[in-house]
Amino acid sequence: MTNPLTGPQLSRRQLLRAAAAAGLFAGVGTTAACAGPTGLPGPGTLTVALTRSLVSLDNKLNQFDSAVTVQRAVRQALTEIGPDITPVPVLAETMEPDGDTRWTVTLREGVEYSDGRPLKIDDVATALQMYEQVQGSFVASFFPEFPTVVPVDERTFHLDSEQPIPILDALMALILITPAEDNEAAELQEGVGTGPYLVERSNRGAGTYTLVRNDNYWGDAPEVERVEVRFLPEEASRIISVRSGEVDVIDSISPDSRDQLEGLPGVSIEESSSLRLNQIFYNFRKPASNPLSDARVREALSFAVDGESLVKNVFTDAVTAAEGVVPDSLLGYHKTGTYQYDPERARRMLDDLGVGDLSLKIIWQTGEFPADTSVMEALTEMFGAIDIRTELQQFEPGGNILDWRQGKAGDWDLLGNGFSSPTGLAITMLQGMYAGTAAKEETRDTYQGYVVEPVEAKITRAARESDPVRREKYLAEAQQAVWDSWPCAWAFVPKSVLARRERVGGLSLAASNSYPLADVRLEA
Amino acid sequence: MLTYIPKRIGQGLLTVFLTVSVVFVLIRMAPGDPAAAYAGPLATTEQLAAVREQFGLDRPVWEQYLIFIQQLFTGQLGMSYSFQAPAFEVVLERLPYTLTLATASIVLAAIVAIPLGVWMANRANTGKELGANMLTIAGQSMPDFWTGIMLLSLFAVVIPVFPASGFATWDGLVLPTITIAILQIALVSRMVRREMSNNLALPYLTVARSRGIAERVLTWRYAMGTAAIPVFTALGTRFAAMLNGVVVVEVVFAWPGVGSLIVRALETRDYPLIQAAVVVTSLLAIAVQLLIDLAYPLLDPRVRLGKAASA
Repeated sequence: MTNPLTGPQLSRRQLLRAAAAAGLFAGVGTTAACAGPTGLPGPGTLTVALTRSLVSLDNKLNQFDSAVTVQRAVRQALTEIGPDITPVPVLAETMEPDGDTRWTVTLREGVEYSDGRPLKIDDVATALQMYEQVQGSFVASFFPEFPTVVPVDERTFHLDSEQPIPILDALMALILITPAEDNEAAELQEGVGTGPYLVERSNRGAGTYTLVRNDNYWGDAPEVERVEVRFLPEEASRIISVRSGEVDVIDSISPDSRDQLEGLPGVSIEESSSLRLNQIFYNFRKPASNPLSDARVREALSFAVDGESLVKNVFTDAVTAAEGVVPDSLLGYHKTGTYQYDPERARRMLDDLGVGDLSLKIIWQTGEFPADTSVMEALTEMFGAIDIRTELQQFEPGGNILDWRQGKAGDWDLLGNGFSSPTGLAITMLQGMYAGTAAKEETRDTYQGYVVEPVEAKITRAARESDPVRREKYLAEAQQAVWDSWPCAWAFVPKSVLARRERVGGLSLAASNSYPLADVRLEA
Repeated sequence: MLTYIPKRIGQGLLTVFLTVSVVFVLIRMAPGDPAAAYAGPLATTEQLAAVREQFGLDRPVWEQYLIFIQQLFTGQLGMSYSFQAPAFEVVLERLPYTLTLATASIVLAAIVAIPLGVWMANRANTGKELGANMLTIAGQSMPDFWTGIMLLSLFAVVIPVFPASGFATWDGLVLPTITIAILQIALVSRMVRREMSNNLALPYLTVARSRGIAERVLTWRYAMGTAAIPVFTALGTRFAAMLNGVVVVEVVFAWPGVGSLIVRALETRDYPLIQAAVVVTSLLAIAVQLLIDLAYPLLDPRVRLGKAASA
């Protein structure tokens, strides 16, 4: 005998119907809550897909290459890195050096934020303080010191520093200006800017932003009325989205996808050099007895690497082999030499140096550069051809490669790595990678243990030189000194590549992998 | 019933507590440093130490755990490192997308799989059943990633009727739903077929058939009535599993759900975000399981919750 369920007199059928209705209601409700407007991009709407989720339009903590496009459309700095990689004034009308430790800045007249508040000198002073105070700041690491703002009149002020900062105009391109009362020592989640667009709607969790024209913009009004920013992490989806016309611009395209997109009707490829250098970098924390501590051994090993083959067959011409210690797109670049492939010479040099039996451990993090695993496998073959054994160790993003790089987790010989110079200046990269000192090395804060005193002295001299001619000369000497120390087995400069629908005009991709949104237009 | 529900809720909360505690320990045992992920490759040792101090990561793990438990009971799950926003809010922003996709997928799976399974049971050991079986095996074997890309290529490029990604438009729901549902349909239909084949051979159905009761009634009221509980349980369990996010499909279709959020949080070692996601999704999964249990008496009146059925 069955036991009836006690409770109100409601039939099973009625209850099931009620549950189904509730389910339908809930389903429709949640769907309605998160669906947006329907339809493909309209004639006045530009849809841009980014490879990484943009969690904020501030850059104190985060700034990946293509984020700059969107960040600078809303927030601006005193200067920006121009198309020829020189700093050009934006919110500053003029920014001129005034002695070794002072710059004089005049703010552009009549600039207002999108909410109508005027741009003030205090906003610049507060911005500098906030960037300095925030923990783990991406930007702060590029400043040898933060200058002090000394107002002169309502629009003019000095930027004073203890030491000369001849590149301050380039560095100030990294400091986005926000009203002082809204700024804080953290990544700003909301707020206004002086740029050509303002944020109408955003979902940081999903990485989507809707930008509309800023009617208070001080410059020429942008032609595109509305910009939709989306986050498409999967490359295959990005390719399909641009092919279908759902997305107008996609960035950071891999060599394989570039091949797919080239020649497709309605899609064009934009390409430029980049501000990034990828290297197969030696571990400089080796004891003197280790063969790799000898620059001649490092040089010999570089002859084993067939860079031309890597560029052509693995990267399908999406990179160029480096001919210096920084990318040739950087201001202050100096050509120092080329990597040559001559395995017989490599073996002969090693034999002459008494290095018969050598084993190399190569480490890298997944995604450090395109086709990373293929490159490492190719290196294994190339080193194997001169009887050098290799061991590969790959780290996933978020793993503990930092401990390895610092020599805390284990020993290694070569590192697949990359370094960018968002200022567009060679000196920034030289300081970040090659200006290591014994003091910094005590806390393992040098670049893979690279501490070469004469090189550091040359870089510091170039960094402090105000005279452009002398600075150029010092920069060239510093770069040659770095090259002669053979820090890399091979290095290459990846190209910035994006794909756009042909209705998108006026898009000029800079080496910074970004473009001014205000210049973009949509054609019928 | 009155004691059953509070008891199950208590068990559920204990399960959530144990789950998040295990996750708390495991993510800290995994290699990687949240401070390094947050501050980037150029950060100095001093800066990393400052970040660790800011996030409380310099404290002993047991102390971090006590703080976490305190936060858990006050409903505060900490600030996400990467979003610089309350982790709970970040998860809640994504949750409607996951709920929508999971609901649509399971509804589609149920609508297709149940009639398909019944159809196969009614045609057991025939050529037609063999053909349907082959289709379900193919559906079970196709990786989500591949299915998604194929559907995208076909219906977003070749015949551009659906959007390729995201949920900017209503029809953006169609392709990810189908991608997920294909596997679920394959699994559930085979299960329905098995249950129905067994039930249709039961003696009481033979008696009913001999009394002239229509085949449609025999199938859908009698045989399906008996099969309802296992089928409903399977659908509910799969729905609960989807609440953790369907990572591959979310990535292929740029669906801003919880699954891809968790992946991102793991890559950046965003402990508060991982913990908040686990708390929310495990609470939801347990709530779904509870609802499934509560629905049993509705599906089969012989079932009494909290007691063994009497003869």
